[in-house]
Amino acid sequence: MSEFVEQLALCVERGKVNRESLYPPDLHGQDGTDELAKQALEQGLKPDTILEGCILGMDRIGAKFSENKAFVPELLMAAKAMTAAMTHLKPFFQSGAVKRKGTFVIGTVAGDLHDIGKNLVAMVVEGGGFEVIDLGTNVTTAKFLASIEEHPGCSVGMSALLTTTMVNMEGTIKAIKEKYPETLVLVGGAPVTKQYADKIGADGYSPDPQGAVAILNKKVA
Amino acid sequence: MTSFERLQNRMVGNPVDRPPNFDIMMQFATRHIDKPLRDYYLDHRVLVQANMAMLNDFQLDIVQAISDPYREAFDLGLEVSFPEQSLPISTSPLLREPSDLARLTTVDPVNGRRMHDRLEAIRLFREKVGGCTPIMGWVEGALAEAADLRGVSTLMLDLFERPDWVIELLEFCCEQAILFARAQMAAGADIIGLGDAVASQVSPAWYRLYALPYERRIFQAVKNSGGIARLHICGDTTLILHEMATSGADIVDIDWMVDYQKAAEISDNDGPAICGNFDPVKIMLQGSPEQVREAVINCLSIGGDKNLSAAGCEIPINTPYSNLHAQTAALSEYYSMA
Ligand code: B1M
Repeated sequence: MSEFVEQLALCVERGKVNRESLYPPDLHGQDGTDELAKQALEQGLKPDTILEGCILGMDRIGAKFSENKAFVPELLMAAKAMTAAMTHLKPFFQSGAVKRKGTFVIGTVAGDLHDIGKNLVAMVVEGGGFEVIDLGTNVTTAKFLASIEEHPGCSVGMSALLTTTMVNMEGTIKAIKEKYPETLVLVGGAPVTKQYADKIGADGYSPDPQGAVAILNKKVA
Repeated sequence: MTSFERLQNRMVGNPVDRPPNFDIMMQFATRHIDKPLRDYYLDHRVLVQANMAMLNDFQLDIVQAISDPYREAFDLGLEVSFPEQSLPISTSPLLREPSDLARLTTVDPVNGRRMHDRLEAIRLFREKVGGCTPIMGWVEGALAEAADLRGVSTLMLDLFERPDWVIELLEFCCEQAILFARAQMAAGADIIGLGDAVASQVSPAWYRLYALPYERRIFQAVKNSGGIARLHICGDTTLILHEMATSGADIVDIDWMVDYQKAAEISDNDGPAICGNFDPVKIMLQGSPEQVREAVINCLSIGGDKNLSAAGCEIPINTPYSNLHAQTAALSEYYSMA
C-alpha cells in the first residue's frame, strides 16, 4: 500500500481534518485529510487512491469502536475528516471522470429522532463512493417517496432506534415497493433484526454501516 | 408499609415487606388511561392521572413527573411539535451557530410553560399522595441538555473543535438544571432524577470531564434542598459505573446492557442503591410472564440489599399487562422467599 494511502488513512482514523484543526493535539500544525487529498490530486494521483485511504481509515476506527477503544465522538470526527477529503472528489464525480456508484437516500423513520447511527451510516456510505441524500430524522413516507422521485434509481436506507417507530418501516416499504418496485430498501438500527427486515419486505439489513456499504456494492456490482 | 417507608428502608439496606417497584412509566401509563400521548406531555393533570393509575393498577412505588427530554429546551426556545399519538419531535436545533449561545438566558421555571407544567404536576402529586408515595421530579443533565439544544452529532464534534465553548454551554445548562431542580423540590418533589442519555456514548475520560462534574453540582443542589438524587444514563455504562457512583446520586439506574453483578459492586459499603436492570424490550415487551418473573428475581438476588426493581429503561408502550403483573408478583414472592 502506498505511503499516501497510509498517511490519509491515519488522518481519517484520528479525525485530523486540516492544518488548522486543533484536534488531535499531537498532530497540530500538520496537514489533514483536506490538504492531503488536494495535494494528491495535484500530484496526479488517481481519485480512487483517496477513496482507498478513506475506507481504510474508517475501517480502522470502526474496528476500535467495536472493541470499546473508540466511541461515538471519535467515529463522527473520523467521518468528518473523511468528508473533508471526499469534498475534493466532487468535481470528478460531477464531470463523470469518477463515477459515483449510485445514490443512497437515508433517513430516520417517522416519530424517531435518533440520528447518531443514521449519520454514521450516511458518512460511511458516502465514503464508499455513493452520493448520499440525508433526509434527517422523523422522515415520513411521503418524504421518502418524494426523494425517490427526485433521484431515479436510488437505493433507500431507513434507520430506527425505537420499537415503537421501527414498525413504521413496514408501511413505508410497502408504499415504496408499490410505486417504485425496483428500489432497493435497506433497514437498520439497534432494535432491528434480519428476521424483522425480512418480515417487513426490506431487501437488506445490516447491523453496521460497513454492512450497508457491502449490500449497496452488491447491487451495483 | 407505605411506598415511602419501603424506599427509605430499602435504600439503607433495612428489611422491607417487598422491594420497591421503580419502573419508569410514561407512554405505557398514558395508553393505560386511554389518553393521547400529546396530552401526557402538555397537561399535568393527564400525567398525574396516568401515574395514579400506575399506583393503583400495577402497585408502583413511585409517582413521576418525567415525560420527555424537552421541558427545559422548549422553554429556552427550542421548536418542538407534539403530534397527538407520538413522542414530541424536535427537528431543528436551537443553537445552529456557536454564537447563538450568547443570546440564551436561563428561564425561571415558574415562568416557563413546560417547566411550570411539571411543577404543577408535582404539586398535584403532593396533594394526592404526598408523604406516602415518593414523588419524583426530573431534569436533563448538562451534557444531555447541551445535546438537546445543539444536536447530538454536532455537539460531539464541538467537543473536539471548540471545547471551551462547550464548557460555556455546559455551565449554562447546569445552571438551568439547578434552577429547575430547586423549583421542583420547592413544589414538593422527594426525588430528582437526572437523565444524561448521551453520557453513555462518550469515552470514560470525557464522561469525567464533560458530564460528571455537572451531575455532581446538580445533585449537590438537590441534596441541599433535602432531596434524594437519582442518576439515569440509558445505554451501556459498564465503563463508567464507578464514576457514576461518585456523582452524589443516592440511586443509580442501570440499563439492561450492563452486567448487574458488576453494577452491584458500586453499591457496597456506603455506595448508592442501584436500580434495574432487566431488558425493557426483550423481557418486558416481548417476554413471557415467566421470563419476567425470572428476570426480576435474578436482579434482586444479585443487586444487593439496597437495590430497587425496574426495567433498565422506560416500560414500552405496548407491554402486556400480564408482564407487569408478573413483576409485582415476583417482588412479593421474593419477599416470601427471603
Ligand atoms: C439503513 O441501514 C442501516 C444500517 C445500519 C444502521 C442503520 C441503518 N442505522 C443504524 N445502524 C447501525 O449503525 C450504527 C453504527 O454502528 C448503529 O446505530 P445505533 O443508532 O444503533 O448506535 C449509535 C451509533 C449509538 N447509539 C445511539 O445513538 C443511541 C444511544 C441511546 C443512549 C439514546 C440516545 C442518545 C437518545 N435518546 Co433514546 N437512546 C437510546 C440509546 C440507548 C443505547 N442503545 O445505548 C434508546 C434507543 N432510546 C430509547 C428511548 C425509549 C428514547 N430515547 C429518546 C430520546 C433520546 C435522546 C434525544 C435523549 C438521545 C438521541 C439523540 C440523537 N439525536 O440521536 C426518546 C425518544 C425520542 C424520539 N422521538 O426519538 C425516548 C422514547 C425516551 C423518552 N421517553 O423520551 C430506548 C429505546 C427502547 C426501544 N428499543 O424502543 C433506548 C434503547 C434507551 C433504552 N435503554 O431504553 C447501528 O444500529
